[in-house]
Amino acid sequence: MNLMQGNILLLILILWPICTSIIGYILGTRSKTARDIWADAVCLSEFAVMAGLLIRAFGGGDTLYLDIDGVCGLGIHLMADGFRCVYGTVAALMWACAAVFSREYFTQYRNRNRFYMFFLMTFGATMGVFLSADLFTAFIFFEIMSFTSFVWVAHDETEEAMSAAYTYLAVAIIGGLVTLMGLFMLYDMLGTLTLSQIPSEIEKIRNTWPKPYITEYGGAITPSRLYLVGGLTAFGFAVKAGVWPMHIWLPKAHPVAPASSSALLSGILTKSGIFGIIAITCNMFAQDIPWGRTILILGAVTMFTGALLAMFSVNLKRTLACSSMSQIGFIMTGTGMYPILSEIAKEESVMAAHGTVLHMINHSLIKLVLFMAAGVIFMNIHKLDLNEIRGYGRKKPLLKICFAIGALSISGIPFTSGYVSKTLLHEAIALGKEASIISRGMGLTGLLSVIEWVFLISGGMTLSYMLKLFIAIFVEKNTDERLQEEYDSQRPYMRTESVLSIVIPAGIMLLMGLGPNMIMGRTATLCEGFWFAGSGTADQLVIHFYSWESISGALISITIGLFLYVFVIRGTYINEGRILSVFLAEHSLFIRSDNEGRNVYVNMWPKFLDLEELIYRPLLLKILPGILGFVSALISQIMDSFIVIMRRTIHRQKATRVDTGSMDDHLAVVTGRLLDRYIPKKDKTSYIPGLVMREEQGARTQRLISSSLSFGLILVSIGLIMVLIYTLAAT
Amino acid sequence: MNKDYVLIIPILFPILAGIVACFLGKMHLGQKGQRLYETVCLIVEVCLTFMCFTGNKALDIWKLTTDITISLKVDDLSRIFAGLTVIVWLLVGIYAFEYLEDDPKSNLFFGFYLITEGLIAALSFADNMITFYMFFEMMTLMSVPLVMHDGTHEAIMAGLKYLFYSIAGAFLTLFGIFMLIPYGVLGSFTAGGIMNMEALAGHDLRLMISAICMIIGLGTKAGMFPMHAWLPTAHPEAPAPASAVLSGVITKTGVLGIIRTVYFCIGSRLIAGTWVQNTWIVLSLITVIMGSMMAYREKQLKKRLAYSTVSQVSYIMFGLAVMNGTAFMGAVAHVVFHSLIKTTLFLMSGAVIHKTGHHLVSELKGTGKEMPITMWCYTIVSIALVGIPPLSGFVSKWYIATGALMSGEKPYSWIGPVALLISALLTAGYLLSISIQGFMPGADYDYEHLENKEPSAYMYIPMILMTIATIFLGIVPGGLTRIIDTIANTIF
Repeated sequence: MNLMQGNILLLILILWPICTSIIGYILGTRSKTARDIWADAVCLSEFAVMAGLLIRAFGGGDTLYLDIDGVCGLGIHLMADGFRCVYGTVAALMWACAAVFSREYFTQYRNRNRFYMFFLMTFGATMGVFLSADLFTAFIFFEIMSFTSFVWVAHDETEEAMSAAYTYLAVAIIGGLVTLMGLFMLYDMLGTLTLSQIPSEIEKIRNTWPKPYITEYGGAITPSRLYLVGGLTAFGFAVKAGVWPMHIWLPKAHPVAPASSSALLSGILTKSGIFGIIAITCNMFAQDIPWGRTILILGAVTMFTGALLAMFSVNLKRTLACSSMSQIGFIMTGTGMYPILSEIAKEESVMAAHGTVLHMINHSLIKLVLFMAAGVIFMNIHKLDLNEIRGYGRKKPLLKICFAIGALSISGIPFTSGYVSKTLLHEAIALGKEASIISRGMGLTGLLSVIEWVFLISGGMTLSYMLKLFIAIFVEKNTDERLQEEYDSQRPYMRTESVLSIVIPAGIMLLMGLGPNMIMGRTATLCEGFWFAGSGTADQLVIHFYSWESISGALISITIGLFLYVFVIRGTYINEGRILSVFLAEHSLFIRSDNEGRNVYVNMWPKFLDLEELIYRPLLLKILPGILGFVSALISQIMDSFIVIMRRTIHRQKATRVDTGSMDDHLAVVTGRLLDRYIPKKDKTSYIPGLVMREEQGARTQRLISSSLSFGLILVSIGLIMVLIYTLAAT
Repeated sequence: MNKDYVLIIPILFPILAGIVACFLGKMHLGQKGQRLYETVCLIVEVCLTFMCFTGNKALDIWKLTTDITISLKVDDLSRIFAGLTVIVWLLVGIYAFEYLEDDPKSNLFFGFYLITEGLIAALSFADNMITFYMFFEMMTLMSVPLVMHDGTHEAIMAGLKYLFYSIAGAFLTLFGIFMLIPYGVLGSFTAGGIMNMEALAGHDLRLMISAICMIIGLGTKAGMFPMHAWLPTAHPEAPAPASAVLSGVITKTGVLGIIRTVYFCIGSRLIAGTWVQNTWIVLSLITVIMGSMMAYREKQLKKRLAYSTVSQVSYIMFGLAVMNGTAFMGAVAHVVFHSLIKTTLFLMSGAVIHKTGHHLVSELKGTGKEMPITMWCYTIVSIALVGIPPLSGFVSKWYIATGALMSGEKPYSWIGPVALLISALLTAGYLLSISIQGFMPGADYDYEHLENKEPSAYMYIPMILMTIATIFLGIVPGGLTRIIDTIANTIF
């Protein structure tokens, strides 16, 4: 029997970072420079191989695959089709940039060896998720990834970091277990977890509906059961992606994690969650409107909540984290539109697919740049509060341009990459709305109109909070002038390798935006295979990105964004035809004057709405363990209490208390005297005290045994009574 | 008459060696001599046991009456149990050298330790209920001194509690055996059951009551509710090597007993679908949740691990109670995995106690910095016990849960897996929090006064080996699952 079939390269791609992480650790104990170079080399080599695979895929190379039987029971199945190559490459690029950037960032940190080890391990595991061909493999690597990335969040070991890390771990474990339950049920239902085999199995089940499908073992599969299984399986992935209401770990973990890990957490680890959701959606619910609707609604809520929280926050990294959450919402919207479009307007579903994939890639790169820019600020001044870092970016053109590229792109300004993906997503919603008027009732149309507006408003909010960050950091001066001078005079504020690690992804993003159909269109087409496994191939997509129709959506968003920034965040108001208090914020909720008359950003973070403190923590740490613990303690005591009661009643035994003084030690005294007389010790001391002690010890032990023996006898008698009762009953 | 007398060697050898060891203390052999003697005995025992595995050896030792015989036989199940026992025994034995280095009575510990090993080997090879019962009782008696070893008031009380719970359980079992004698329960173990169907006709209730008595009775050793209470009392008092084998191996003898009773004597067909099966499932699930919940609330490390054993062994019980091939596979695999994992966990707790004297979980802050190897082993096996892939606990959990789901529409088909997952969550809560505070003592941790408290190689090499086994068996479980699969195929 051949245990391994296919191309071994795929396994090497996963094992290479995992194995080298340990070498890196050992190297690190000798030389820190060697370890840094080693980590860079590993990431870059991995990137080179992945890029090679991607180019091969662009050139129309066949899909690589690898099956290893028996690993963890079901075996591991890997493949590298278009989407997997693209995302593997993105992941490798991000890791390479983050590794290079970490070198300077971590100069003053403790436990760096540990960080690098888990950095590389997580890399391998993440590659495993993105290369997996079945849900089982995806789950295995997903869990490894969750656990190893925990160390990143906790790295600082401060109180906040530990609290965030515990939240991260708890959320990851709970999510993982729920997904596991889903996988149990899915495997039971279909007998396979291989993605390519799921659609046909699901088809079989759907064909028998409305009569429930009966499985081999007599289980009945009704539609509700299918949704339950799908929902459970998707849960863990959604948690990792940061979908509302399981987003709690995102805004907590990012501000405390080191910059390079924040970039990866938000740029790529959340995407592994999205990967799982897409895999489930495309293969199990490819044309299922209720499923799509649920994803869509969750996506919309996530998108809006994230944007709102981002507007409220004054912590740079927390704002970026909330922004990630919001962008995940955008991606989810695309994912949700896919099954809806597949059902009501088949030929347009490709729009949703392209939009989703491109927004994933964009968001990965954008967040890489933005978080590393935040990292540059943090490693220089160790502050993240907007009021404190205000004005830091003035006179630092390189940082300013990179941040601006990211900010513009994420806000969907025309001629950036973000514009392309957001336009596609918007088009998908608009097309879905049109098609739903014809084919479905008003319910779907109404929902889609609402979603469209939420989409546009959230897009506007994205612009407004990015403006808030940009203006605060790069335009305004710090309220403390001496500090501002200090900021301005800081030279150099980052090393060459760190510059490269930020400029390269920013440059790629710029290129992508300038040639939308050439780079992004081709990339998205390459990814189609992953989506259409469940519903056949799609038509070629041609989009005129700069037609009026496409651009109008972006313009609406931009208008909303500017309006929000100027009138809500800045608090500008118009009085008797004159614009008052532009940038002088007496009337804004977001900027207030402090005691000394300086304008400061107000922390509007809604603590009281924190789902974690409000619901999850009390529920999971107090209420449930309290109740369950009480019941368990009761149950656990049943047998012991029964025995104690028996001893006190039937056996009339008093509590076992042994008084040392109360015993007669005649034997010890007598023998001691005899021994003293006939065999005296050399040092003339008496045998008696020692013997007395021994006798008392013996007596005590004996008493213990006899009292316990009686309780054994009780058990025997209970057994005998049972025999008696049975014999009586039987005769 | 089967006459493979070689079978008796791995049983008699450790017993005799143990008796000798009781009398040969440090004063006769010196510390080195004692260690050499024990090591040689343990290694020889491993070789002897594995020698017996070839072929299907069998031996009738003695005929008590016409239908009561004392006989031994080797089958796949006994290979798994005996093999596991001798390997764990060897590793824990080596670990015990350092743990008991300052103990004047260590010769007694090693003596009883070896005797118990021989008896467990014997009950793995037992070919009928009476033989099994005999060695089971002997093993109980011989393992009591291990629990009582410290000689303190608490230790003696704990030892007695262990003894009487075990004896009560054994009596329940014996009662079941007596009741079933007319239907041929004393015959040689055969996969699928040996009951005399004609004689049994019309005596269903009698069979059911005996079966549940035997399950609860043998479940005592396995720590199944309602007879689990000895575990959390006995473990903290026993020396760490003793707790390790108590939890790792001795609890599993109860599991072996139940497998022999249900699948090799009574036959699962007679029990499947009856109230006996339902009760069994309910009891095991109660234990799963209760054990992990109690562990979650427990402040003392060894007691926490003991409650964890209560919970985890009932995973096995649940897997057996579901009664299908897949769940059976998961259950027996979990016997092996849990044995390795829990042994390592107790060894870790012993290393911490030996080196730092800390008993409480709250005192373990920064342990990972002081004893990194120990803590790494602890962390890896903890993750395995939670059931995170690709480590071994995941594999067994996967089989148990999918097996449970295969039972179709019955409510436990999904309640069981849910209970397992809730328990897994609690397991993560009570085990991983120790690793986290061990490795991440906080930014204000005093790195200046950090001293290396790593135990010597005697202690960490056994832990490392078992940790590697845990990882390896998780990634490549094929060899083990194939053996279990052949057993399962003969049973169902």
